[in-house]
Amino acid sequence: MKRITIASTAAVGIVALLAGCSAGAPSDGKVTLSYGLWDANQLPAYEQCAADFEKTQDDIKVKVEQVGWDEYWNKITTGFVSGENFDVFTSHVAFYPEFQASGQVLPLDDYIAADKLDTSIYQDGLVELWQDPDGVQYGLPKDFDTIALFYNSQFTDAAGYTADDLASLTWNPEDGGTYEDVIAHLTVDANGVRGDEPGFDKNNVATYGLWMEASGGADGQTQWSFLTASLGWSQTDEPWADSYNYDAPEFADTISWWYSLVEKGYMPSLEAQTGIAWADQLIAGKAALVPNGSWMTGHVFGAASDTFTPALASTPEGPDGKSWSMFNGLADNIAATTKHPDEAWEWVKYLGSADCQDVVADSAVVFPAIKTSTEKAVAAFEAKGVDVAAFADHVTDGTTVLYPITDHKSDVNATMTPVMESIMSGKSGTDALVGANDQVNGLFK
Amino acid sequence: MSNLTRLRPEDTDSSSAEDLPLVTDEGPRSTSRGSRAAARAAASDEGFRTSSRRSRIFGGIALGVVVVGTLFPFWWMIRTAFSTNNAMFSDPLSLLPVEFTLGAFERVLGIASTSDALAEGGSGADINFGLYLLNSVIVCVLITVGQVAFSSAAAYAFGVLRWRGRDTVFAIFLVALLVPGIFTLLPNFILVKELGLLNTFIGIALPSIFMSPFVVFFLRQFFLGVNRSILEAAVIDGAGTWRIFYRIAAPLVAPQIVTIAILQFIFYWNDYLWPLLVGQSEDTKLLTVGLGIFKSQTPQGSPDWAGLMAGALLAAVPIFILVVIFGRRIVGSIQSSGVK
Amino acid sequence: MPARRSDFTSTKPARRSDFRSAMLFLIPALIGFLAFFAWPTVRGVYLSFTEFNLLQPPEWIGLDNYVAIAGDPVFWNSLVVTSEYVLINIGVQTVAALVLAVLLQRFTRSMVVRGVVLLPYLIANVVVALVWFWLADYNLGLINSTLDAVGFDRVGFFGNEALAMPTIALINVWRHLGYTTLLIFAGLQAIPRDVYEAAEVDGAGEARTFFGITLPLLRPVLAFVLVITLVGAFQIFDTIAVTTGGGPVDATRAITYYIYERAFGRFDFGYASAMSVILMIILGAVALIQLRVLRANDSDLER
Repeated sequence: MKRITIASTAAVGIVALLAGCSAGAPSDGKVTLSYGLWDANQLPAYEQCAADFEKTQDDIKVKVEQVGWDEYWNKITTGFVSGENFDVFTSHVAFYPEFQASGQVLPLDDYIAADKLDTSIYQDGLVELWQDPDGVQYGLPKDFDTIALFYNSQFTDAAGYTADDLASLTWNPEDGGTYEDVIAHLTVDANGVRGDEPGFDKNNVATYGLWMEASGGADGQTQWSFLTASLGWSQTDEPWADSYNYDAPEFADTISWWYSLVEKGYMPSLEAQTGIAWADQLIAGKAALVPNGSWMTGHVFGAASDTFTPALASTPEGPDGKSWSMFNGLADNIAATTKHPDEAWEWVKYLGSADCQDVVADSAVVFPAIKTSTEKAVAAFEAKGVDVAAFADHVTDGTTVLYPITDHKSDVNATMTPVMESIMSGKSGTDALVGANDQVNGLFK
Repeated sequence: MSNLTRLRPEDTDSSSAEDLPLVTDEGPRSTSRGSRAAARAAASDEGFRTSSRRSRIFGGIALGVVVVGTLFPFWWMIRTAFSTNNAMFSDPLSLLPVEFTLGAFERVLGIASTSDALAEGGSGADINFGLYLLNSVIVCVLITVGQVAFSSAAAYAFGVLRWRGRDTVFAIFLVALLVPGIFTLLPNFILVKELGLLNTFIGIALPSIFMSPFVVFFLRQFFLGVNRSILEAAVIDGAGTWRIFYRIAAPLVAPQIVTIAILQFIFYWNDYLWPLLVGQSEDTKLLTVGLGIFKSQTPQGSPDWAGLMAGALLAAVPIFILVVIFGRRIVGSIQSSGVK
Repeated sequence: MPARRSDFTSTKPARRSDFRSAMLFLIPALIGFLAFFAWPTVRGVYLSFTEFNLLQPPEWIGLDNYVAIAGDPVFWNSLVVTSEYVLINIGVQTVAALVLAVLLQRFTRSMVVRGVVLLPYLIANVVVALVWFWLADYNLGLINSTLDAVGFDRVGFFGNEALAMPTIALINVWRHLGYTTLLIFAGLQAIPRDVYEAAEVDGAGEARTFFGITLPLLRPVLAFVLVITLVGAFQIFDTIAVTTGGGPVDATRAITYYIYERAFGRFDFGYASAMSVILMIILGAVALIQLRVLRANDSDLER
């Protein structure tokens, strides 16, 4: 390495001189932190936060950089290896376990203790998402997301359903409850025959009652996690568990029922749903009802048109009489490669404060993690004419299950996705889940 | 129509030197010593009259199919770029723009206000299109000129010069062709960082500027085909190796050099991941990196369709101009620098 | 080949070696080769014998990665689907490009037509993939709506396991046809015109001219184009990443995509490196066989 480096250094020496000096430390003595995020829709809000933050600081500047999801993780991983990375970055629970296990993100406990930070201001459960198995804190929650049903109320009106009907659906894995009744009735074939009417042509469906959105992989966050939660089943028994429960009958029953919708023609097959994302299918009238996450609210409601009137309903009540949602949230991590950990903490602290989260709330894109800011966001959505109670109520009602966080998260997902796709395309039965679970649990041995 | 009837150019040298390299179909200058005059005479209008009427009709139809098949998706891009994002899927099959707007182009050019951009389903991020365009031009010219010049020299050494171990060294060189990008990404990034060249144009260009195994391989094929008697004649005239390369051999394969230069330029113009890693600062952001904002922002989300198409079309315009306008000039100037 | 073309090297005594000049000409390319190809390759080969998650120092584990790969059904499947892609993509693309290059040379001098052929290559891979993803969408795509309107069943171009890879292969034919055509076209330009004239005097038809003259004289360039496009095709990645993501099930989980997933998605860089080494060996073997079979080093024009 060394020798080649020297050889190339000599070779590029002249051109390097021509290119002028590379970006170095700013000459005015200020520290410039780089902050990374992937969602361009939130960029304006965080740029505002950075500007406000700089006003409170004499010697810290923040440069907000947005990179699309795929390359975002690429850049961060490469950055860890090379030592050239964002100082602070938006993190996801699917990735951060490997980062903390390798010591690539900084623990925050000492800072939190020194600044006597009150972490009870955040929605319950979010702080714990960002603790490692030993309870060491790696992030301050910035926002959260829950699941609800997006639907086109022009279709439900035509089918004779009111908003209240949709808000009080029931579900069970045997006959699907009123959830399946509504899905069947909302399904319309090319001749205008509904799914629960005689003569329905399931091979020629114009509007599906429910959209599949792939198999849900290991999590089923937007697909089936809210159903299985009502059966008391969860992927893992606790955060940081070292085994998964994919072999449980509750899970197999739920997936069997879900796949039965494909066989009945109420939901597109895996083949038919592969393509343009679900939201655009809903907007185009190809689907009547789609369960999905709060982060999609802006996109869906922004597309209202003559043929599309978006609305939200809470997820169906399960056998336990409750409507459930998976609960996940983002936080900001400090990269261990940062040269300015103290300044990075100041920025993380600001991002986790009501000052910044209120700004984010006003932009009505996501729900901030601080309880008071969540309320402001709900109000901001309402001001835009969107009733987001179906999302927010889960938090106040405590009907949330945490996103399953364990080691080997990406391996688990890579193992489960093909299996789930195989089941949802009818190639395998749900008995394949038992073997898949053995394979997943083998990762932890 | 006249194109079809006049199958061969009446001339060779003068007009073809003006031709786009992709378009010069006179090829004899690299071969057939002494037969150039004869070729010129024979290549008059009588040239390829033998093409029967039937085969000409077939050829015309086949080309027509290719052109239509190539252009239709472009119409789809154009129609999408002029549509309003939020309305697009209320009529996803429309062949015309849905709720015609210039909004996507305004977003791409960075002249839409944040609130307008957000209202249309865009991101509201700042885009400095002019600066990114300039950055892309600088970096791609830097890479293309360096890479093609150095690779030509190497191809000449492999294709024309005679030396012990030539084929072995060439075979080793070819291994570079097989190296997956995933191998080179990290070490190259670390190297560029250690050289202190992150966020510089040189840093972005560095791994590509010295050579491309592909270009070396490609040009060597043509240097192999260069008529050696011309080169030997130059040696007898006392020309040095460098002079023979620069004044004789390279001009002989000028159409191929320019063809490969254009293809490489386009390749680097569209490159994304490397410039994203190395040139993240505003001053060194390339067009593809700047336009990355229109790509999907969440794992399962939709892109800003209109913005993405508008961005892709606008980014393609400069290269199209390069290909059509400058291609023929470049080939002409290389050849005029050589033997006449 | 016409005898009047002189074969210089055989009629003159052996020349002095050009070794010193050759080295001078090779210096920049050698620097690039050593620093940006050879070194990363050596390092990658080393990493293939380690457990390396990118975030912690690599740990030597000998042949363990290779042993694990041998028993990894996803890896073997990736070789199968990659081969499927390569066969369809290269087969269709090479034949089409060859025909198109000859058509361009023989039937038109229109700048517009020649420019149009290259147009798809001007658009980034990812955007091309997304445009076709839309056009071929099961529910919202123009192609399926047209099929539906004229009475055919809709086709899951991306969602059907049997069709997903061919679809991706053909999308990339669309993007790279002009590119490949130009490479072949560059080869056509190097064929001396007097050869055609001789054929014409003999009264050869289009087909005989093509198979008797064009194709044999094009052989070295064609061999080159095949090697290049094949090596590129084996590394199909972008189109898969933005359309199917390896699915349905594993139908489009091509080798490079799988390597990428292992390296950056699952932090298994050692394993990914070992797969890369295997891929390099396969590519090397394929290229070598191709060059041998097609005798790319012998130019018919030269002798």
